[in-house]
Amino acid sequence: MIGMSTRHILLGLLAGGPSHGYDLKRRHDERFPQARPLAYGQVYTTLQRLVRDGLAEVDGTDSDGGPERTMYRSTGEGARELAMWAAEIAPPAPFVTNEIFAKVVVSILAGGDPAAYLREQRAAHMARMRELTSVKTAPSADLATVLSADYALNHLDADLRWMNTTAARLTTLTAEVDAS
Amino acid sequence: MRSDSPVRSMGSDSPVRSMASDLRTAWLLTRGSGRREWWRVALTAVGAGLATAFTLGATVLASASGRYRVPLAAGLLDDPGTRSGVMLGLTLLLVPVLGFLGQCARIGAVHRDRRLAGLRLAGATAGQVRRIAALESGLACLVGSAVATALFVRYLLSLTEDPPGFVWAGIALVAVAVPVLGALVSALALRRVVASPLGWVRRVRPAARRGRGARILAAALGVLAAGLVLVPDAFGGYAPVTVVVVVVVLTATGAVWLTGVTSRLTGRLLAARTGSPAVLIAAERLRDAPWTAARTHAAVLLVTVVGTGFIGVRHGLLVVLSSREPDGLSRGMSYYITGIDLAGAAVLIALAITLSGLAVGAAESLATRRRGLAAQTAAGVPFSVLRRALLLETALPLAPAVLVAGVGGMTIGVWYGVVTGDSNWSMPYEALLVPVAVYVLCLLAAATSLPLLRRAVRPMELRYT
Amino acid sequence: MSTNSEKPTPLLAARGLAKSHGRTRALRGASVELRAGEILAVTGASGSGKSTLLHCLAGIVRPDEGSVVYGDTRLDGLPEKRLSELRRTDFGVVFQFGQLIPELTALDNVALPLLLAGASRRDAHVRAGQWLERFGVLGQEELRPGEMSGGQAQRVSLARALVTGPKVVFADEPTGALDSLAGEQVMSALVHTARESGTAVLLITHDAQVAAYADREVQLRDGAVVPLGVAA
Repeated sequence: MIGMSTRHILLGLLAGGPSHGYDLKRRHDERFPQARPLAYGQVYTTLQRLVRDGLAEVDGTDSDGGPERTMYRSTGEGARELAMWAAEIAPPAPFVTNEIFAKVVVSILAGGDPAAYLREQRAAHMARMRELTSVKTAPSADLATVLSADYALNHLDADLRWMNTTAARLTTLTAEVDAS
Repeated sequence: MRSDSPVRSMGSDSPVRSMASDLRTAWLLTRGSGRREWWRVALTAVGAGLATAFTLGATVLASASGRYRVPLAAGLLDDPGTRSGVMLGLTLLLVPVLGFLGQCARIGAVHRDRRLAGLRLAGATAGQVRRIAALESGLACLVGSAVATALFVRYLLSLTEDPPGFVWAGIALVAVAVPVLGALVSALALRRVVASPLGWVRRVRPAARRGRGARILAAALGVLAAGLVLVPDAFGGYAPVTVVVVVVVLTATGAVWLTGVTSRLTGRLLAARTGSPAVLIAAERLRDAPWTAARTHAAVLLVTVVGTGFIGVRHGLLVVLSSREPDGLSRGMSYYITGIDLAGAAVLIALAITLSGLAVGAAESLATRRRGLAAQTAAGVPFSVLRRALLLETALPLAPAVLVAGVGGMTIGVWYGVVTGDSNWSMPYEALLVPVAVYVLCLLAAATSLPLLRRAVRPMELRYT
Repeated sequence: MSTNSEKPTPLLAARGLAKSHGRTRALRGASVELRAGEILAVTGASGSGKSTLLHCLAGIVRPDEGSVVYGDTRLDGLPEKRLSELRRTDFGVVFQFGQLIPELTALDNVALPLLLAGASRRDAHVRAGQWLERFGVLGQEELRPGEMSGGQAQRVSLARALVTGPKVVFADEPTGALDSLAGEQVMSALVHTARESGTAVLLITHDAQVAAYADREVQLRDGAVVPLGVAA
């Protein structure tokens, strides 16, 4: 998840009813198992910004036997903002930051071994794909886990395919890079 | 065929030019096609050659009227009466030839259908595809008929110096008619395939394939009727011929129907009970496509009826002849014996052609399934199981059908003996050997495809190309 | 996941395999090891010799050079009769398609290996039914391969490959003819069952997402194994 939309995801989680920061973090990590886990600090700063922008408000406190916690709920403005965001299409890969491609080119420029790099990168990708596959095929995996693992798997697979065709065309690429 | 089809071929402004381009396409396709396509072309040419030869023989005999001196077959061809008998025999031989050609058309049929559907996808009209396919088989038949005609004419000239003009006309007519008919039949047979450009996508076999058996039967009936009209005297008048024809047709129809029904029934019964893998595979194949077997075996059964009947009739004739010898006969014994032997030879030729058709059919069925068979072998199904299944597929449905055909033939033989043989009639037991022999020969014919099975199960066939 | 440090004796080992189809050299010195219970993916571009490698390892074809050792038996020297028996009892095969007999029902297709091993029809049916249930094709026992979806047919094929309790299952592009969802179901069925029963799997695929179901991957290029760098 890109940082920018953490607020929208929290708004989405609040849409179900008032909730406190700890609970929001827990529910986020549960819903989006393959995403980077949210830090508490990030949750609280984001909540404060939502309140500042009028998208959420404090709903009182709840102790529930334990330490006292601030409850938050979404405002009408927040619901509108959320609906707009959810309907808005994600721009298809606006900036492809292709680290792998950059490394291949740099490796050619610096007289390194791009083939060996690609082989190792490929092995690393495969290892990660095996991990994700065992996560999603575990008997306890729920559908959310399976789908988010699939999302990651498909992206890694795309990288891998690109690496395969690049590895097969390294000679031509080397000639091209060296010539310019 | 609908020549007034609203969809005209591309560039139909000049029929000659479009014909030339179709011919070129047909030639390109034939030239570029695989080994199996060549097998079909070659065997079709052989079948067409046989058909031409038999028809030529009958035509030349028919054009002769009155008495001739023909230095052949102990003078059997001198007399109009016996000559028409020989004619009828030659005409009847067309039946197994047609069956054989039907089998040949199946070689590589899947591949050919796919190729033709591909042509449709590439934008050819249905009419064009049909014409191309018709030209393909027409060319094959032309080769066969040309060779047969050339050989026949050489032979004819060695017998008689100067055949009259109408004989030549007849020969020319037959030589042209055979390839034309071949082309027409193939165009008709492909109606279904070319109907849909996506024909090749279908995974399920089209169910309506019983038609060919019926067509062969109809052709057989037509040939018999023609023979009857042409030479009513061949067997001493309409009545006996009618009886023979009716018995032959009834038994053959019955036998085909019986093969189909018993195929399905034995298939179903055995498949439900057997513990033997070979029987299970064979039985399920029969249950799945009982009419394939029936169609393949139609000609076999017809030959069994005729063969059994012939031996019975021969037995009866010999009884009559030997009781009258030596003074009761107008001609020498050899005259009659030659006649009988000639008829016997015709039956044997028919049997040989039919068995070739059976072998071709078995080989084709194997060739179509070779990828699946290779997969079975790879999975460890022993070769012996596949071999037994293959033979059982022929053996199971044929047994009851040959039995019925044999009974039909015996009926003819016994009836003939009873009618002609008065007091010293005896049972033609030797006729019972015919169904047995035919059965064994059929198994042997099916067994000729075993070397092909060896080849089909090679792992090379597992490749996905 | 197994690490490279432990080296148990392999269940199946090929050394220096070479095999030509006419003038095409499909394998040029390929060496592969398969350990008991391991799922090994063999990947590579089309024409890299994957299928030929599988055929050599499964004793379906004899290599021109090199050796194939299963347990303590050398496969490349065995007569075809013994190989066929071995394929029947110790191995199972799953291809992209075509391993089911089109005229047999799903139940009979799965029962066939048991019948070949001499089981009675009734016993074979009972066990085949259990395996079909395991692969989620219950209630479709009487369908024939042509009447099933591709995914169902492949799961029946898996049941047929596993019904005799083989030591190794050879799967050649088992999901090659399937869409990704059906492919996923087939793969997880294969992997689960193999792990449960301790069956080793040699999986041929060109699809990285399928290869990711395996414990380990071997890459082929031009008929030989690509030496892997140190895995990250």
